[in-house]
Amino acid sequence: MLSPDLAEFLESGVSILVGTRGDRFAPDCMRALGARVEPGLGELTVYLPEAVAESNLANLRDVPRAAICFSRPQDHRSIQIKGTVLEVREAREDERAVVERYRGALAASLGVLGLPPRIVFRVAHWPCRALRVRVESVFVQTPGPGAGAPLARPEGEAAP
Amino acid sequence: MTPRLEAIANCFQGVVPSIIATCGRDGEPNVTYISQVYLVDADHVALSCQFFNKTRRNVAENPYATVLVYDPLTFEAYKLRLRFVRAETEGPLFDVMADRIQAIASHTGMTGVFRLLSADVYDVLALEPVEGFLLPPDPVLDASPDAELPAGPLTEIRGLQVVSERISRARDLGGLLAGTLEALDELLGFSHAMVFLMDDAGVALEVAAERGYGGHGLGTRVGVGAGTVGTVAARRHMIRLVGVGTGLRYGRAIRGRVAECGDEAKLAPELPLPGLPDAQAQLVMPLLAGERLVGVLAVESRDPLCFDEWDEAFLQIVGNQIALGIDRMRAPSGQAAPAPRDALPTRSFVYFRNDDCVFVDGEYLVRNVPAKILWKLLGLHAREGRSEFTNRELRLDPTLGLPAVKDNLESRLILLRRRLAEKCPEVRLVPVRRGRFALELAARVTLEERDSAGSR
Repeated sequence: MLSPDLAEFLESGVSILVGTRGDRFAPDCMRALGARVEPGLGELTVYLPEAVAESNLANLRDVPRAAICFSRPQDHRSIQIKGTVLEVREAREDERAVVERYRGALAASLGVLGLPPRIVFRVAHWPCRALRVRVESVFVQTPGPGAGAPLARPEGEAAP
Repeated sequence: MTPRLEAIANCFQGVVPSIIATCGRDGEPNVTYISQVYLVDADHVALSCQFFNKTRRNVAENPYATVLVYDPLTFEAYKLRLRFVRAETEGPLFDVMADRIQAIASHTGMTGVFRLLSADVYDVLALEPVEGFLLPPDPVLDASPDAELPAGPLTEIRGLQVVSERISRARDLGGLLAGTLEALDELLGFSHAMVFLMDDAGVALEVAAERGYGGHGLGTRVGVGAGTVGTVAARRHMIRLVGVGTGLRYGRAIRGRVAECGDEAKLAPELPLPGLPDAQAQLVMPLLAGERLVGVLAVESRDPLCFDEWDEAFLQIVGNQIALGIDRMRAPSGQAAPAPRDALPTRSFVYFRNDDCVFVDGEYLVRNVPAKILWKLLGLHAREGRSEFTNRELRLDPTLGLPAVKDNLESRLILLRRRLAEKCPEVRLVPVRRGRFALELAARVTLEERDSAGSR
């Protein structure tokens, strides 16, 4: 369900927003700093900087569901993925390059909005928690008519 | 320390897109960008709703939401814990938010396709700075030049005084406009400014003076209702657009989706911005002499945060003076007040054939049989100069679609009178004697027919 084109978009350094909720249905969100698609597995990993992740990680301990929105600031092309969080672990040193590369791409894309890269480079980005997510549905989220329509349906409709 | 909402007002300018998380009854979280977070007061914000999307459905089921906003200068992040209160579909808050969206829709060729459905008001339950989001600044790399000293009140009062003097001493319209724009630039730093004047027919505005564009743009015409300037003229409200580039990119994204969904026919061509092609902030205000719109003043900047509430308030004072100055120049010599005909406001009526409805100055007025009646009366008045009509001739007109028996003509006329009194009091239907009434106009009226609300 994650075509090579889609995987490339998800890993291209676009904005990554993560939404969670607690056991009393209170929603929360944060930015992730990088994503890696596991080819062929229908899974992806996103990286949450520990400095600001606590409230969302607490939610995930209660309810392991995540919404992840990938959006390109230049043209608002957006995809939202929903799925079950299979694992939350410390990001490994060999994954740090993904996060560092992402930070550079984020600075470039926010530069389009007029934010100086030297400010974006100050985003706390390491250490990170790695969130491994089973992709269960993919939605088109580009603003406009049809926003929220499913892009594809998972095989066997895995339930949370 | 928890800041107050007003202290983070920059975050609501729309430069860096905000993020919203919601969760419906099914417990599935949802996260997405939102186009506009509007600061209502110390305890409330409003979010713009253009489409009934997942966020909106979730909030209807579970009113709690979390919004992340960013300061466009420092990139500090703040988390707002919100609870949905109500959706406003009219009133001052709705108008301010709708005007901004209308301006973007118009520039991206999507008038009528993309509009504000509601201004959704939320209680702000908590405002939390996101501690640790940014690392401390590097003393060498991040040393920024000292901020410029803000202009003091003396400079502003002096500036206002000079503007007033130039307006009152000007001998002709050209001198008045050029002198005013020069003072705005030199004393107050508004270095890109244009004055548009309304044409005699009341359908378009023309650039009569400019400053900061090297003489380009003079004579450029903008239709009433088109783009930011035309929207301000049609609605007679000031519009402050910040993050123009962000807004246009957002509009184009929706335009792309409309085209992909097979509705390309609804789209009109994009309308270029009238001044700086890369303007990031615009402040556009109607120039009103009493009730009459004489023109529009537009200032813009490449700095997305150039204008704030102070500029709005200040330019409004200047704008009023310019409007009165223009009015004085245009009045025939030796006459203290403008001629009565000249003093009439212009109301623009549009009849949408496919929807059987009439809009006045871009706002919905009335539909179905009362709309057809009004259109017939205004048309006969324009073509034949008639101002008295009979109930009988309306009953005999098959195009109005009145049923043969129990036509309820009287109640339809009452409805029409009430709608006119609310939305366009300058046009009245006054009973003369039994079965006869007169059309009284206290405005110049323009009439236009279109196929449907999406067409031009």
